[in-house]
Amino acid sequence: MEYTEKVKEFKELLQTKGSPVAVKLVKSSDEIPEGYSKISAKKRHCEYVQDARLEGLEGYASAEEHLCKGGAGVMGITSIPEPVATGKMYHKLGNYQTLEASKETVDSIPKSNENYYATLYSPLETAKFEPDVVVLIVNPKQALKISQALLNEKGGRLSSDYSGIQSVCADAVVAVKQRGVSNMTLGCNGSRKYDEIGEDEVIIGIPANQFNDMVDAVASFKEKWGEL
Amino acid sequence: MKKINALGIKHPNSKILVENILKQNVEDELIINLKKSEDQGLEELAVKYGYDFSAETKGNELVVRMTKKDIEIEKLDVTGETCPGPVIIVGDKLASMQLGQRVEIVSNLKETLDDLIISAPEMNGSVVDEGETNGKYYVVIEKVESEAVSQVTKRDKVLVVQSNGIGNAERAYATFIFSKAALSMGKKVTVFLLMDGVSIARKGNAAKVKHPAFDRLDKLMEPIIEQGAEIFVCELSAEFRGIKQSDLVEGTKLAGAATYITLLSDPSFAVVNF
Repeated sequence: MEYTEKVKEFKELLQTKGSPVAVKLVKSSDEIPEGYSKISAKKRHCEYVQDARLEGLEGYASAEEHLCKGGAGVMGITSIPEPVATGKMYHKLGNYQTLEASKETVDSIPKSNENYYATLYSPLETAKFEPDVVVLIVNPKQALKISQALLNEKGGRLSSDYSGIQSVCADAVVAVKQRGVSNMTLGCNGSRKYDEIGEDEVIIGIPANQFNDMVDAVASFKEKWGEL
Repeated sequence: MKKINALGIKHPNSKILVENILKQNVEDELIINLKKSEDQGLEELAVKYGYDFSAETKGNELVVRMTKKDIEIEKLDVTGETCPGPVIIVGDKLASMQLGQRVEIVSNLKETLDDLIISAPEMNGSVVDEGETNGKYYVVIEKVESEAVSQVTKRDKVLVVQSNGIGNAERAYATFIFSKAALSMGKKVTVFLLMDGVSIARKGNAAKVKHPAFDRLDKLMEPIIEQGAEIFVCELSAEFRGIKQSDLVEGTKLAGAATYITLLSDPSFAVVNF
């Protein structure tokens, strides 16, 4: 699908900071499109997303590059570390009063059912691959317009679920890829700290095949309402 | 088929989420894992969007299955297939299926299906229904996640040791037919050829073996290699017979006693001798 013009329109309509980010989970190196190389810097998934959004990063990261093994684990790039999978880590960190509450939470986090070789990133407008998910980091007012746009064709309500841990990975990528519907998340301590998602920003993952329709709907709002 | 984990999502958000998924209208089947009592309203959604609804309790969880009304479960008729044909067919089928998908296997022989029922867990399958209809037996198998079994006790690899070579055609055939069946059941297969067994790997030898009821031996060996089976040839046995690496068919390689002993010592291997 062609996204270049729609991204331009999206940025103009909503005056967003940076680009929508194309994210794809690939099963082998054969699926990496020509021109994409391994990202040399070892970082977290959420940092790669921010780098693609703000600095135009294009490339892929395998298990070796992913520093946040919990994030890589839920995306099927590595196995989930035992302290994360059992809830011990988040209990120890003080997120939950009991180990049971911690385990209840980590059991509920969307996790990839399949194993993947790498995560592939690009600003959406220059992506040479069809992404699984488009990650948007926007302010609440922009998120409002996006939410309204996602309901424009079929109506209803939106449901977003998150737990404040493993957000840009599980909430904005895995959940969206698996369900085929959007999800909004408020980030996690890691993503707020390491990739400097602003205090006035939220994260929305949407299935790539809904991006263009969403932009069209925002454009129709602008036409009807004047100012967004 | 789409399978989602909605364990942490409470009503009414669970209903909103499921409705948004159904609105995409792209799936024949939707399976949702929920906490008990968070399924309120899902049955009416199934009716609204033209899906059959079923819910099964598993411990504290509820597995809700919504299947489009006009979708039938794929049927495989293995009548007339001789062992290990049915297990190969069903193993390959299950390997290509997604978690939660079901397949119905039909045969005129109950023994054939009994064999599949026993081997289903090894192929990540769970028997959900079985019986007899119109003079044929059937079993419905659902693809499930592999059970969490300790790697120490789970024998998910098969080591086939072959020491008879092309001089004993039945054992030579059995080596690769058995390997094919094991691969189809999701096992990792390693073949170790030693003593007279090394003759099978010598270029041109397997092509000389042909039983009237079976394909030529090399035609059985090649796909096994292509499907990822490792074939080791005992270095000592090869040297004893003047065979070098360059004499061996592609996909086979010389290996020493250390490799053989390491394989035998690995508890995750089930060992079979031909």
